Amino acid sequence: MKIVVCVKQVPATTDAKIDPETKRIIREGTKAVLNPFDLYALEEAIRIREWVGGEVIALSMGPESAKNVLTEALSMGADRAFLLCGREFAGSDTWATSYALAKAIETVGGVDLILCGKQAIDGDTAQVGPGIAAKLNIMQAANVMQVDEIGNGTLTVRRMNERGYDIVRLQTPALITVVKDINVPRIPTLRRAREARRIEIPLWTYKDIGADPDKIGLAASPTRVVRTEPPAIRNTDTLTISGAPADAAKLLVGEMLARGLL
Amino acid sequence: MIFTRSDPSGFHIEIIPPKQDSQKLEEDLDLFASKFERVMESGFTASITDNAMGLLAFQGHECIKELGLRARPDQILIHLNTFHTKQNLDDILESCEKLGINSILAISGDGSPRLPKLKPSEAEADGTASVTSVDLTRYIRKHYPSFAVGVAFNPYEPEEHEFEKLKRKLDAGASFVITQPIIERNAAVDRLLAEYPDLPVIVEAWMSKKLFLLSDVVGYPIPEDAAFDPIGTLETLLKLYPGCGFYLSLLGFKTQYSAIEEMAEERRNSK
Amino acid sequence: MKVNEYEKKEYRNIWTISEILGGEVLPVSFELLGIARELAAKRACEVWTVVLGSGLGGAAESLISYGADRVILVEDPRLGAFNDELECHILERLTAKYRPEIMLGAATNRGRALIPRLAGKIEAGLTADCTALAIDPETGELLQTRPAFGGNIMATIRSVEYRPQMATVRPKVMRAPVPDLNRTGEIIREETVPEDAAGIKEILRVVERKESSVNLSEAQIIVAGGRAMGGPAGFQLLEDFAKRIGGAVGASRAAVDNGWIGYPHQVGQTGATVQADVYIACGISGQIQHLIGMQSCKTIIAIDVDDTTPMMKLADIAVKGDLFEIIPSVINELDERVRA
Repeated sequence: MKIVVCVKQVPATTDAKIDPETKRIIREGTKAVLNPFDLYALEEAIRIREWVGGEVIALSMGPESAKNVLTEALSMGADRAFLLCGREFAGSDTWATSYALAKAIETVGGVDLILCGKQAIDGDTAQVGPGIAAKLNIMQAANVMQVDEIGNGTLTVRRMNERGYDIVRLQTPALITVVKDINVPRIPTLRRAREARRIEIPLWTYKDIGADPDKIGLAASPTRVVRTEPPAIRNTDTLTISGAPADAAKLLVGEMLARGLL
Repeated sequence: MIFTRSDPSGFHIEIIPPKQDSQKLEEDLDLFASKFERVMESGFTASITDNAMGLLAFQGHECIKELGLRARPDQILIHLNTFHTKQNLDDILESCEKLGINSILAISGDGSPRLPKLKPSEAEADGTASVTSVDLTRYIRKHYPSFAVGVAFNPYEPEEHEFEKLKRKLDAGASFVITQPIIERNAAVDRLLAEYPDLPVIVEAWMSKKLFLLSDVVGYPIPEDAAFDPIGTLETLLKLYPGCGFYLSLLGFKTQYSAIEEMAEERRNSK
Repeated sequence: MKVNEYEKKEYRNIWTISEILGGEVLPVSFELLGIARELAAKRACEVWTVVLGSGLGGAAESLISYGADRVILVEDPRLGAFNDELECHILERLTAKYRPEIMLGAATNRGRALIPRLAGKIEAGLTADCTALAIDPETGELLQTRPAFGGNIMATIRSVEYRPQMATVRPKVMRAPVPDLNRTGEIIREETVPEDAAGIKEILRVVERKESSVNLSEAQIIVAGGRAMGGPAGFQLLEDFAKRIGGAVGASRAAVDNGWIGYPHQVGQTGATVQADVYIACGISGQIQHLIGMQSCKTIIAIDVDDTTPMMKLADIAVKGDLFEIIPSVINELDERVRA
């Protein structure tokens, strides 16, 4: 089974700040890491390979430094990795990103299964997974918590919803996004980590994947960020309540109701 | 392993294995190897951390094996915290056993979303909601009785609470103690030595000049420019606590190591 | 679809994709109608909603009473459970036929899978989890505001050259209007996709279960305890309190390290980062490691005997007193108000 896992490099912390003068996002000094949700997708892909055989390919789009998250994917056990890299891709929104990743998956060729994390922690949109499935015109299941069966061109999975879960059968090739409950991602061993660092990660330009330059990057993105601003600043005026417990409780509950907190 | 009061010259040298995300892993491994071997040659104990501060690093036992280091098992203390899968925990303990290592420091440890926390059922810890160092100590002693298990003692926690917790750790089978860093005479450590005269106690000495990094440990802010002389402080502590072993954290191998070797030599001779 | 100024004029009205689960209209569908009505009033256009399901009963009427001018109903036994491909097929066809200017969906599990698939298919811009929506009455341009980077930044997004303009909204972010049972509207029935259409998944089973796992990152209200809780019994009190106000229980590292409560409850640098509407810190002094994990909660309430702690100073409401007296009194007070 040929499995592609889409991974993303994200800032380690989500506490990016806005420079009050330039209104731009300050991201200096923020370490870049593999999107935590993608670890579960990688782990599941490796387990499926251990189960039915095949190959796991990690795929990312980003600056050259994003090779580091692919090295991490290789350290966990992915067999190969590719990075879509080039200024033509810069500024892509989720739609353009989905298009580029779909083209790359077509370039890999013969892929049976695509796994993505539930969402990326920097944007939290959860849009790229279903976006890729749409571009490839294949079946999808989001928020998968368990893979039950694989074989005969089908994949049976459990996916979470607000009331429980559904068991659904997809025809492969298919795309699934996975949630944290699905597994416990392994920690790379030193031996595999050293091997992984010797595996070359090819960089792919838009030409290598046969992408239409009018469908990638900022110019081709249907959505544009027109403004960023800090959120409303928290009120630090503390209201102090004291006194006998019953009185304090009355005041607190009254205050919470007045502020619409209950 | 040198941690008894009868041989107080033992320095424990903290060594942090290379980080998982290292971009110069081979260099970091070389550095680890050189530090480790130097500690072995000095007759000190290499005290190897387990994902310290929740930052993902390689494990001490795999570094030793993978790099083919000449390990003297009596001079190695492996830290082990509660952030592992059971499988992983058992792998580490078995691997350490095979290397002949006989000491483990059992700590709660620092978590991170990347690190799985041991489940109470996995650590055979019924009646607790979260696996603690007490449960871990009991687990190791039960299934891997060849290990001597050390535990942490925090003199900055509310005292009664900490002593009660220490009692539970000792009841679970711990046989030596390492304190949090102190920089002067400490009342809680004094009480510890008085209440447990036979318990080997290792005092942590802070070897970085950046004293303010200790703010979180001591619970009050230390100004960033606070002057601190680690070697001088260690000399004072050695005199104050002649019966204790010493755990040296953040030791500068280039700048401080020779001084430490001399101090150890002096201490040995004075005995 | 990418459109020029002339083509844009063919796109009209604001659509919402209603959400049905287990035969019931989910409240978020009404919330979507609330914001759609506000936008439609400015743009002077209609509000339509699409309902896909099976055995839809009075769903259309209730959606009209909440503000829909027209309801497109598609009924099909296969739509009883969420089917990404089938629903996407139907919506693709409907958008091509009616050309809505704006489409709003719910950021539920279903919406977060379906809406991006649809946007990918029809080549439309989509903004997830909007917290505010505004419209230019002249051009119909939708200004979509959403939090990014863990809520530290608010970004405003437009999709100028593409129609429809699509956005999702999380449940409880918008306010549902008061229903007007006298409102009238049109119900339009549309065909489903033929039985033998290719590329539609099979749904084998739908399982309901009570969620027992801790999900602090999605909790709206969190009641958290620290060392002052003294033991597991203290956390039982917090459990009761949390249950009473529909919240989840959090904890400081000290409490978890003592084994009083499980690690999944730990909030802070080495635990979970939370963004609840209300965070009630009980006997938590507020060490920096803890504050990092909870300081972006909207309202912070602290209960502690010591009013000099960082947490009590940071709090919007600080209650000074013994939490073992205060919390039972609060529960009591809530019960009394319910009785009254």
